[in-house]
This record gives sequence, C-alpha cells and structure tokens, in this order.
Amino acid sequence: MSVSPLSRRLSRVFAVEGVAVAVIFVGMIVFFSLASPFFLTGGNISNLLIESVIIALLAAGMTFVLVVGGIDLSVGSVTGLSAATTMWALMSGAPLPVGLLIGIGTGVLAGVVNGAVIALLGVNDFIVTLAMLSVGAGLLQVVTSNVQLTGVESEAFLWLAGGDVLGVPAPVLIAVVVVAVLEFVLIATPFGRSAYAAGIGPRAAELAGVPVRRVRFGVYVLSGACAGGAGVLLASKLNSVQSGLASGYELTAIAAAVLGGISLAGGRGSVWRAVLGALFLGTLSQGLQMLGVDPLWFTIVTGLSIVAAVALDRVVGRIALSRLLGADPSTPAGPSDGPADPGGPTADAALENDDPRLDQPLAGSAREARTS
Amino acid sequence: MPDQDTQDPEPQELLRVEGVVKHYPGVVALGGVSLDVRAGEIHALLGENGAGKSTLIGVLSGITQPTSGQVFVDGAPVQLRRPRDAQDLGITTIHQELSLAPDLTVLQNIFLGRELRRGPFGRGLLDERAMSNRVQDVIADFGLTERDLRRPVGEFGALTQHVVEIVKALAFDARLVILDEPTSGLAEEERVALFDHMRRLRERGISIVWVTHRLDELYGLADRITVLRDGRTVARTDTDESTPEDLVRLMVGRKATSLGAVAEDRTAAERPAGPAGSPVEVLRLENVSRRPVLHDVSLTISSGEILGIAGVAGAGRTELARVILGADRIDGGQISVDGKPVRIRHPRDAYRLGIAMVPEERKTLGILADFPLDKNTTVSRLGKVARLGMMLDRRRERAVTRDYIDELGVRTSSASERIRNLSGGNQQKIVIARCLFTGPRLIIFDEPTQGIDVAAKAEVYRLIHRFVAGGGAALVISSEIPELLHVSDRILVMREGAIAGEVRPDLRGDDLEADERASAEIMSLAARSVA
Repeated sequence: MSVSPLSRRLSRVFAVEGVAVAVIFVGMIVFFSLASPFFLTGGNISNLLIESVIIALLAAGMTFVLVVGGIDLSVGSVTGLSAATTMWALMSGAPLPVGLLIGIGTGVLAGVVNGAVIALLGVNDFIVTLAMLSVGAGLLQVVTSNVQLTGVESEAFLWLAGGDVLGVPAPVLIAVVVVAVLEFVLIATPFGRSAYAAGIGPRAAELAGVPVRRVRFGVYVLSGACAGGAGVLLASKLNSVQSGLASGYELTAIAAAVLGGISLAGGRGSVWRAVLGALFLGTLSQGLQMLGVDPLWFTIVTGLSIVAAVALDRVVGRIALSRLLGADPSTPAGPSDGPADPGGPTADAALENDDPRLDQPLAGSAREARTS
Repeated sequence: MPDQDTQDPEPQELLRVEGVVKHYPGVVALGGVSLDVRAGEIHALLGENGAGKSTLIGVLSGITQPTSGQVFVDGAPVQLRRPRDAQDLGITTIHQELSLAPDLTVLQNIFLGRELRRGPFGRGLLDERAMSNRVQDVIADFGLTERDLRRPVGEFGALTQHVVEIVKALAFDARLVILDEPTSGLAEEERVALFDHMRRLRERGISIVWVTHRLDELYGLADRITVLRDGRTVARTDTDESTPEDLVRLMVGRKATSLGAVAEDRTAAERPAGPAGSPVEVLRLENVSRRPVLHDVSLTISSGEILGIAGVAGAGRTELARVILGADRIDGGQISVDGKPVRIRHPRDAYRLGIAMVPEERKTLGILADFPLDKNTTVSRLGKVARLGMMLDRRRERAVTRDYIDELGVRTSSASERIRNLSGGNQQKIVIARCLFTGPRLIIFDEPTQGIDVAAKAEVYRLIHRFVAGGGAALVISSEIPELLHVSDRILVMREGAIAGEVRPDLRGDDLEADERASAEIMSLAARSVA
C-alpha cells in the first residue's frame, strides 16, 4: 500500500465518528474568540457552561433512551412541569430537600409512566412520549394558571443555579457530577451493558438472557429523572415558572445527542458525547448573541448547523476512508498495485494469516458512520 | 487453474469470468477466479466460507467492482458497474437473505421498482392486469395461482418466497440465475421441491449458478462444478467425474486429512468416551402446551445425552426451544429441572437454572453484531464479571474470552474484535462460548450449523460432543436429517406442535442402510398428515 503514513494517520483520525464535529466545534470557538474579544473571558465561559447545563442534563438522559433504540419526546414539558412542582412545593413552605424530591419525583413519575406503557404494554415509544409531552405541557398550564409561581426566598435553593464553589458555578459542578455518574452507569455497569445489547439486537439480547423490557423501562425512568433534575435547576435559575417553560427542549436535547454522534438506531453512544453536543449548541447560541445577531435567527442557525455538522462528519469520514482504503478505482495509489500476479505470496499471506488486520476495525467504524 | 476449454465451440457459453481479482485493504478476497457457465446448465459453485464465493457473486451482480480481471457475457467483455447492468444482461442474483418486502403482495414484489404502467408514455397508473398477464404462464409452471399473486409475501414460507424470486427473475427475461445457498433455511421436502424448480428453470434454457455447502445435494442435479479455495478457482469438473471425497479435498485443501469428518464420515467425529458418572435427568417436560403451536409435549433429557428434534418448518421445534428457555410462556403442563418443577418466565431464569441456548438465525438472533467478542461472551451472565455486582471488570471479560478463543479454536485477531467481522463458524463458536460461560447443564442448539462451512460444522459437532461428554445434556434442533443422525442419541420427530414419534439412530458407525432406514422413518413421521 502506497498511501503515505501521514495522510493515512489523518484519515484514520477523521474516520472516527464525531471527530469532524469536534473539529468544527474548535473552529467555531476560534472564530468567535477572534470576532469578539470577550468570548474567551472567564465570565463568558462560565456563563456559557451554565446556559448549557439544562440541555446537557436532558441530553445525558436521552443518551440512555437512544442507546436502547428508543426516543423520549416528553422531556421538554416534563422539565417545565418539574420546575413548577418544585416551585409550588417550596412556596407552600416545604423544606428544600422535600422540594427537590418533589421536583425530581415529578420527572421520575413521568418516566415511570412512559416506561411502563412502552416496555410493558409495548406501545410505540414515539407515540407514548409525544402524548406525555402533551400531558406535561397541559398540566404545566393548569398549574401556572391557578398559582402564581414566582419569588421563592430560600437562599439554598437559589444557590443551586446561582451559587459557586471556589469560583466554579454550582450548576456546572452538579452537572459534572451527574454526567460522570451517568457515564459510569452506561459504560461500566451491567445495566448500561444491557442497554447497549438491547439496542444492538433486542431479540438476540432477549434470547441471551438480557432483561430487555426491564432495561427499556429503566432508561425512560432515568431520562425522566434527568428532566426532573433539569426542572429543579431551571426553577432555581429563573425563580419563576410560566406556562410553556422549557418547551422545545426535547428537540434540542436530541439534536445535542445526534451532534455527539449518537445513533438514533440504537446500540451506540455515550453520555460525554451528548454533553459535547450540548456544549456545541450552547457555544453557538452564545457566540451569535455576542456578535449581535438577532435572536430570532438563532433557531434557524442552530438547525442549519446541526445538518451541516452531521453531514460534514459523514462526508469527511467517507472521503478519508476511501482514500485510506484506496477503494476508489480512480485513485492510482490504491492497494491494487499487484494484481498482475494473483498467485503471489501476498495473496496467500493475506488469506491464511490470522494476524490482526490493520484496517479491519476501521472499516467497521466507517460502515457504521454511514448507517448511523 | 487457467481456462483450457473455453475455446471449445461445442456447448454454448453464456458467462465467462477470467482472472478476477478483488483486493480489500489487507485482504485478498479473490486472487484470480475463473468460471465459465454454459447456456442451460446448472453450475455448482463450491467452497468453504471465506473461499470467495460471496465476493464473486458480488462481482457478477454488479455490487462489487473487481480490482482486475474481466467478465464476458456471450463472449463479449462487459462492465458490471451497478446491479442494473447485471440485470440488463439477464443476470439475476437470488441472495440467501431474500430481498422481498413481506407486506407487499407477490405481484407487487415481482414488479417492485419496475412496475408496468398504462397511459401516455407509460407514466400513468400501475397496470395490474398487464403485470399479472406477463407472469401468467410462468407462475403456473412454478405452482403459484392467480390468487397467490394478490397475497402478501409474508404469508408464504421460505420455499414459496424463493419461487417468487425465481418468477421475478423470469418476468424480466433472466438468462442466468445465481442462487446463493438457496436450501439453507428449507426443510427436507421443501429442498426437493426447490430442486424440481431448478430443473424446470434449466428446461427453459436458463443457466443457474448454484452456491452450496452441501455435497450430497449436487449429484443428480448439478451438471458441472467449480471449486473455489482461498479466493481462487482450484478445480472445474463435470459432476459425474467427481466424488464427494475429491470435492472435500479440493475445498479444504491441505486441511483435509485432519478433518475427515466433513465427508459425512462418522468415525472421525466419534463420540468421546462415556460421560462422567451415571446419567441423571436434567430436564423433564410433561404435557407442555402453548396453543396453537405446541400440544402436550412430553420429553426428558439426561446428562450425557444428545436429544435430536426433527420436523418440518412450522412443526413447533423452535417454539419448543423458546418455551424451555422462557422466551414464550406455556399455557399448560409442567417443566421440571433436576426433578424440581420450575416456572421459567424469562430466558434469564433459564440461564440461572443452567439452561442455555444457541439460537437459530445466528446473524439476527445469535450474535450481537456491534459488540466485540468479549461483550458477546459475557452478556448472558454479567454478574460473573462484575465487581460488587455493579462494576464490570473489562480485564476479566477479555481474559475469560481469550480462554474460550483458545479452547474452542476461534480464529480471530483478538477478543476486542467486532464479532460481525468473523466468519459464520467463528461467530457460532462465540455464541457457544456465551452459553458455556453461564455454566449450563443443558444447551439447546437450534439449527447450530446453519450457514457455516463444512469444517466449522465438524467443529461444532465436536463441541457438542465434548460438552455432553463432560456431563452436560444437549437438545439439537435441525432441518438436516443427516446431521441429526450424526449427533443424536435419540431423535424426537415433531409434527404440528406435537411429538409424532421417536427414532434411535444406529450409533455404531458406517451402516449407511441403517441411516437410510432411520431417515425414511423420520420423514414419514414428520410428514404423515393427521387425518
């Protein structure tokens, strides 16, 4: 093979899923910092992180659902509803821990209902969570039209979103801990492994003894709990809840996960990648804001950037791969140099040798990049 | 071996492949393949997994672009850049995984993407009548009726689906049909029916390239044979001039001596010495039912025993396996493990009780394709590799898997290799490793050798025997009667969800007549209609 080692190495790096997105991410940061001297200041970075925390939490929970091949469209309104129940509890004089429990519990309850109907009754996940989205939004409306939810005076509660520890914003700290725990659960525990197995092949996993239904139930509860937590943080940040709060967040969370390279087909993904996707979106909107772009354009730019990033990831990955493989017959530098002697020693060696084949795993990952 | 007789003007040559080479990075899939197919012949393409049959088919159907070499049709060089190019030349490939849409009707499937239309410029509405007229004479020949055309393909069995593919080929004037292991999912009498269809195709002057693993099928059907090994054509012969022994030697090459078992030679895969200790009952089923697929099934399996299950497709064999594993609930009867009545609600319960299964359809139900070998191996008992029951120990998972790789002779670069990159036989060994890892006393093997090559088959048999010799019990479900006769101590024949009878094969050795008698008995039990 006559591909040069450098381009070969570069190709390999780019063929790894998500690398192109990461590169765009870095490029975007460079662009914004050149365009605005304030972009890379400590204050702005911490602001950016705080703004991204809510979506990051939702995307982290969503990752589990996507890994088993499901989808949770309900998290937006469940976040809003959880914020409302938290505020309501605190305003009714409940102590902070009870308020938090009620807020997170609201999310868990929604997740339990989602999970039970999807996993136990076998109803389509899209429909169930879409219905929950609607129910949650409706309940939020009912609650907010009856009670004025604003102005909690608990310092501790407001600290959750506004405080800091040694200069690090509290919500960022909370998110880091939660994300680390969730990543551990997904990567290193039997539950997480079962989630991947269920996503790769539910029928095969079932026959292999994986409790597929239980796992499916579990991921919706987890996603609901994340929405509950996000709701609490949102309530603390705004100290006010109105109808329509957090609506549309579910799509942003899914977009973040997709940007992180998580497949909607299931079986692949990790929490930190989804969080990276959330940061990507956060950076974008923050940067646009600093450049003075009309906020009305944000969602449009966000949408276009998602398509652009994912498409580029795919195209770059494919070009890099075909260069590496020399599969394109028009590429003169392919491995097709020696066909004149089909019976030569290389042919024998390649087929009879069991040594690790250099390109095999890469070929696999490229195939996925294409099908994901 | 280079071409010698292609200049021979006598029989009319339809297709010729000369020196086709296909490189993939690090692998030479084809290292110089030659093939010539005459008009109106059945040409068998033999070779083990990895011999290059699939790649060659890919080249002929326009899916794969060869690195070098040339394909000729009617003596003229052709370029097959897209599947459409091959179709236009009259080359149709019927893949092992049929490409039919189950919810569309037979007629819709036949004309899928090439529908006939009426109205101006042929761009108007679909013309159902024209379409059904076009296949009228063909369907009658292949046993389909006018009404069948309007039924969804999913309602038919595997054989009829093959027939639909064949009709589809004929409707568009195919001259060469490539059949990729067409009999792998078929029951005995369905195979016979398919062979009749193949003869009918030949009578119509259509050539068939027939990929198969099974030597016993060739005789009396194939006209000529091409054998591939390690990506090259190693022999081309008239079927009458070869013996199965020759062919096996050609297919496996130098490995032949150590794998004499492959030639249906029972002695080489002989059962190891008897099991340790005296047999104890492992599993008992009493009047187990799951209506409408299972009726009052009773059986027992003891340690050291291999119980075969025969029957036609739909006789309830897989359904039986599924209720034993707890994948489906029973609605009557009693299952006992070690003499104790149990309720198995989920496969997980079964694995805990010491029952494991190697499922049918390895690719979709056996392996977890995106997982590496080690994650495939441990998935059924993650608790065994988890610290404190919650943190998976990756190093132990890999170590355990490496042990199985050595023990079962899995050919792979490492335990972290993705299982989808392995050959069928090696994938199946990892599925068996997964079962062994759960520490089972009974393993259910559902079509364990489906779609794997002859050498790997012999190794799977050996693993079954070894497991049983160590005091385990095995339940082997198979559509191949020779396979059942080869591995089983007893064979239960199922028919319409019930046990129709029991046959004991002659385990002593090479008595072909006894085998024939036993298989005739199995077939009559399996087929007899319940009046």
